[in-house]
Amino acid sequence: MSHAMNNDKLNKHFWVWPIACYLFLGGLGGGILFFAGLFDFIFAPMIGSSIGSVFALGIFIGVAALGIGSFLLVFELGQPFVFLRVFLSKTAIIKWGAVLLSVALIFGFVYFLFYLPPEWNLFYYSWTWIRDICCAVMMVTGICVVLYTGILLSSFKARAFWNTPVLPVLFTASALSTASALLAVTAGLWPAPEFLILGGFAAVPMHDLSEIFVEYLHLIDTVLVAFELVVLLVYVVMMYAAGNNTARKMALQWLRGSFAPLFWGGLVICGLLLPLFFYLSGGVLATIIAPILVLAAGLLLRFMVVFSDVRRPIPGEERFYSRLPKGDETFLFANDSKSH
Amino acid sequence: MTRYAMVMDQRRCIGCQSCTVACRTWNDLPLDIIFNPIVTEGVQGIFPDVHASYTPLICMHCDNPPCTICCPTNASQQDEDGIVWVDSSKCMGCKVCVNACPYGARDVSALDPFLKSFVRKCDFCKDRVREGEQPYCVATCHQNARIFGDLDDPNSDVSKLVNGLGVTTIFPELGTEPQVYYIPDLGGAK
Repeated sequence: MSHAMNNDKLNKHFWVWPIACYLFLGGLGGGILFFAGLFDFIFAPMIGSSIGSVFALGIFIGVAALGIGSFLLVFELGQPFVFLRVFLSKTAIIKWGAVLLSVALIFGFVYFLFYLPPEWNLFYYSWTWIRDICCAVMMVTGICVVLYTGILLSSFKARAFWNTPVLPVLFTASALSTASALLAVTAGLWPAPEFLILGGFAAVPMHDLSEIFVEYLHLIDTVLVAFELVVLLVYVVMMYAAGNNTARKMALQWLRGSFAPLFWGGLVICGLLLPLFFYLSGGVLATIIAPILVLAAGLLLRFMVVFSDVRRPIPGEERFYSRLPKGDETFLFANDSKSH
Repeated sequence: MTRYAMVMDQRRCIGCQSCTVACRTWNDLPLDIIFNPIVTEGVQGIFPDVHASYTPLICMHCDNPPCTICCPTNASQQDEDGIVWVDSSKCMGCKVCVNACPYGARDVSALDPFLKSFVRKCDFCKDRVREGEQPYCVATCHQNARIFGDLDDPNSDVSKLVNGLGVTTIFPELGTEPQVYYIPDLGGAK
């Protein structure tokens, strides 16, 4: 039967995997641009503008994440060709998200262009003022994109499990921790040069410099993962303890229902406690395994939250929708010539 | 000023779903879209004193609609007379308004063709109402359980009922100020 219908409007998920991936990629990309801009802002006065080449690959991945995220967002639309109207509206949160995302994407990409291999000697390498502007803009818009992904979901009064100020905090912590994890993994890789000329005189091996930043990033990520763990537990426990009936039901599903294996096993243990332990223990566990776990947990968190879009039922609604035809009943199409 | 509103008299509704069918016919809805279901609460009580109450639903055409401010393309909009509607040519189908509505009054049809899927919702049959007729669900209701009119007109049935009886709304605590009022049935009381 070609007609796939879901008449259960109460339990239907209107936003599915493209939105979950988009929220993850938007947070990741925005966080990367924020951190790269922040490191540039703090360290460029000390060691010169070549600092950006430590994070060049990370920035490229961040920009690519924003690009793929925007593609998923548009791909998910019912009428994608109407998309440009987004920039006409005044108040909508999605409009601000789209604007910030586009700006971060463009300025992040231009910033990245300055850190293509130096031996290519591209003509614009000396226009450092453009780089500085891009750095500032991508830092600000990057953190705004991160905040936006959480604010978007928490703005829905109708969705009990989303409508809490803890959610933007959780998403921000998760986005920043995934971003620092990815930056730590990719620091000092292509297209960074083998040696960096710092302050115009001393040539330092890229490897040595990136190691210093990786240590910084591991420290930052340790703090963020610990913070995220606290916020995550506060979020779910408060939804259970202080939420309305709908939120409480969903929180129970997280704590000991069908989401529990993913929540306890996937998020709390593998996604937060293990990376925390690995970061503290150091070695290859901290440099490779912990960031991968953090990134996977970030994606898992977005999926779990997006699929927790419960709405409070109007009395009687649950029963009504559970009794509607599913769409594969023969009587529905018995007289419909097109479906045969 | 005109402010369209609807009153549902739950004392009169018998849950026959005529309004649901009428709406599908007038608005030519795909099979998986329902604008105005009637949900049933019950059966409650002990035989022979049993009772069920019927709640006819519809878009609440709120005074403070959460579904219009979140629309990024201005497709979801509210007119001066309070009617909230979606301009399908402007809707990009992002479903943000569907998530924003606490009443489940909005949906996209899975039967719409690819690249042409937009949000649908009740528009109080504005094509009929603005020509002086009743919405089709109201015109169909043989129990007169759905009552429609101008809330700002003191002589309208709607105005008299809303101001004269103890009407309730659904989820008033959300601050959406729904403009569909309910006259609760007696809950089996004699």
